[in-house]
Amino acid sequence: MIPWLLEALQCLLTLLLAPGLIGFVRLLKARLQGRRGPPLGQPYRDLAKLLDKERVVSTQASWIFHAAPFVVFASTLVASLLVPLVAAPLPFDRVGDLIVVVYLLLLGTFFLALAGLDTASPFGGMGASREMTIAALAEPTIALAIFGMAAGAGSTNLGEIVARTLANPGSTLGSGHLMAFAALFIVMLAECGRLPVDNPATHLELTMIHEAMILEYSGPYLALVEWAAQMKFFLFLSLLSNLVCPWGVAVELRPRALGVALAALVVKLAVLAIGIAVLETRLAKLRLFRVPELLGVSFLLALLAITSSFLVR
Amino acid sequence: MTLASSLVLLSGIAVLWRHSLAAYIRAFARQSFLFVVAIVLIAAQTGDARLYVVAALVLLMKVVLIPNILQRVQRHVGADLEIHPYVNTPASLVITGALTLLSYAVASPVTALGSLPTRGGIPLALATVFVGLFILVSRKSALSQIIGFLILENGIALLAVLATSGVPLIVELGVFLDVLLGVLVMQVFVYRIRETFETLDVDRLKELRH
Repeated sequence: MIPWLLEALQCLLTLLLAPGLIGFVRLLKARLQGRRGPPLGQPYRDLAKLLDKERVVSTQASWIFHAAPFVVFASTLVASLLVPLVAAPLPFDRVGDLIVVVYLLLLGTFFLALAGLDTASPFGGMGASREMTIAALAEPTIALAIFGMAAGAGSTNLGEIVARTLANPGSTLGSGHLMAFAALFIVMLAECGRLPVDNPATHLELTMIHEAMILEYSGPYLALVEWAAQMKFFLFLSLLSNLVCPWGVAVELRPRALGVALAALVVKLAVLAIGIAVLETRLAKLRLFRVPELLGVSFLLALLAITSSFLVR
Repeated sequence: MTLASSLVLLSGIAVLWRHSLAAYIRAFARQSFLFVVAIVLIAAQTGDARLYVVAALVLLMKVVLIPNILQRVQRHVGADLEIHPYVNTPASLVITGALTLLSYAVASPVTALGSLPTRGGIPLALATVFVGLFILVSRKSALSQIIGFLILENGIALLAVLATSGVPLIVELGVFLDVLLGVLVMQVFVYRIRETFETLDVDRLKELRH
């Protein structure tokens, strides 16, 4: 009974908190740029509005266009069952580890790229090809960064990594750990479509990557796709914060521990969100042919993280 | 200690990623500053007072003096961007990864047998030497090659401090004088190259053959 409740709690937290996180980042960016900015709850209202609107589908679209929003939403929701948000280890840990989480999120990206190509719109094709270039270059880095994080714990099981880090607090300041965090951070910027890789607030189609793929979506489909993107960002940030700084995560399933874990998660996500908002305000978007250089730096950081955790014992 | 050495290595790698020569000079100044921090940490650990003197000298020379000289050269010569290097950026970064693995392989007998608390940083110092050498070899602008040489020298000095907690003070002073004079001579060469060829592209030196 309890395991199912915990997993349901994870799903619920992801669904409810993800739009709030994006709203927070947008509000911070607006304030940093001297504007008042939209209120914190604006993404919730946008999603509610979109669910009510009419669905307009291109005549060239096939079943992929109709299926993709559901696939993206479902895969992100399933990934939320595995990421340790408030408790570790999770009951579903035996079914999936860090590799499964990352590739579930990548499955969503793949289907979105297919949907972008499906509508025969040139912007969709452009967005899909750019997104696939970035995803293909980020993949070796993701794999190496995962192994860098797992090398310290000796296993890719997320509960194991959290438990080992809690048992050995000194290891979080090790250079391997910090470099794996830096590599995963750059990968998160690339995968979630944040500056300097992709501007999430742009309205110019030629500069879009993620938005170009979903340009043809409207109504409830758009609501699902946007919600899935927000959940992906939320999951990446919680993964980063709970793997690198797992203090506060509940190890026993008592209500007080869970409450503390929830508060700790909110604080950690707020810190990361502030960092990302400041970064996005300071950096300009990279030209597309410079993105491989950024991902190359991330690859090198991941490689150095592994060598310094594995080869210096 | 491993953290300080890896930060030194990372600031050396920053030169492979950026394209502007002013950024190279800043990266070198940052690397020298992190090197000073590493020396101070080792001095605090071993209680050796000479190392504080060495740290002060490195701070004066490599963080303040040499970057100043190089910045004046760069502004006077007007060169701003690295002209297409022989090896492009993503390839350079992958080669750096391979060089780091090589340095770990080469230094593994030393780290396995050694008993110093600082031995974790030895492969990283060796990797800084390799990275400096790689920058020297793969870049075309004369100023970038000077930066590569200085990073190489930083790596050797870091290796000396980590492995033997400093060489005698006389040797350190000699090396500093050497590096300072080397930079001054190279500065004169940069002016000469610029005067003769209107560019800092070292490839053009081939024309001197005819």
